[in-house]
Amino acid sequence: MVLDNKDTRNIWEKIGDFFSANSIWMKWYCTGCGAIEMPPTMTSRFDMERLGMGPMATPRQADVLLITGYLSTKTLRRVIYSYEQMNSPRYVVGFGSCTINGGIYYDSYATINQLDKYLPVDLYIAGCMPRPEAIMNGFNTLIEMIKKGEANGWRHYQENYDWYKKNQLESLGEVIIHDEFHE
Amino acid sequence: MMNSMNKLIDEIRVTLKPLEILVPADRQIACIVEPGEVHRALAYLKSSGFAQLSILTCVDWIEDGEFELVYILMNWNEGIHVQLRARIDRNEPVFNTITHIYPGARYYEREVHEFFGIEFKGNEDSYKPLFLERWDAIPPLRKDFDPQAYSDSKFPMRDRDRVFKSRIGGTEDERS
Repeated sequence: MVLDNKDTRNIWEKIGDFFSANSIWMKWYCTGCGAIEMPPTMTSRFDMERLGMGPMATPRQADVLLITGYLSTKTLRRVIYSYEQMNSPRYVVGFGSCTINGGIYYDSYATINQLDKYLPVDLYIAGCMPRPEAIMNGFNTLIEMIKKGEANGWRHYQENYDWYKKNQLESLGEVIIHDEFHE
Repeated sequence: MMNSMNKLIDEIRVTLKPLEILVPADRQIACIVEPGEVHRALAYLKSSGFAQLSILTCVDWIEDGEFELVYILMNWNEGIHVQLRARIDRNEPVFNTITHIYPGARYYEREVHEFFGIEFKGNEDSYKPLFLERWDAIPPLRKDFDPQAYSDSKFPMRDRDRVFKSRIGGTEDERS
């Protein structure tokens, strides 16, 4: 995925980005083992809130979708629902090697191998798992990217919706499932 | 403590006439029976205190051409587990339901049908999908299923030739 990094924002969008970068609400989609790295990141030792970041309960009120680990096809469907409920501008952070190339689940029949084919990932934090230092570093980078207007994944998703949908349907068959548990 | 185990083993040996009885661990009994005997054995064990069906699962013995159904029962009064095993033909994976003995087996049979493709006659739910949404290949826990090939066909791998430039600490050009 090649993101368009040209800064085409007007002054109001720049001001909006400056303020939203300093007040980030995150939706953690704790699918994998990475979720265990979040408590030390948000509590007193590393203290995520000094960056102005905090956890949020619902996707509709969140700015960042944090995917902490592997995604099975079943959870990927729920992640896509959640992402599409979020308001723009919205950012996706892929966390750990499972979102990058499948990690140790590269040959599993149930887990996907590459998250950015299905959702626009603004930032990957590599590692298995990344330690809280790496997470804090990644959040700093995300804040800088938002301030500079480089975190354009949500725009890329709007402009290339057909490409993302095609990949989603190729791997999942259908995104919204129709069976006895969902009707 | 062991007396109750020995008494139970003797009772099972007399009543069920199993092919083999094993004691894999303390307070556990494994009992291998003919597939035709499974329902009688389960009814007998349920009436003698094994009220809980802990799990119904399956093992694929592909070299022997057989599926082995495994029923694990628990007796809450004695704290004893009994494992009942029976092998059925792999080419004709059909078995009768046990939902009239243990109604909770309804979902276990559905799971075994989904992951191993065994039909359970008499349980009309067992054909419905349970965990796997829109599964489109042979049941995934059969030994002849190739997860790598399935993963390659459905979930493309990243092109490994591509070099990723780290943003953390500057881009590659900046560092060199």
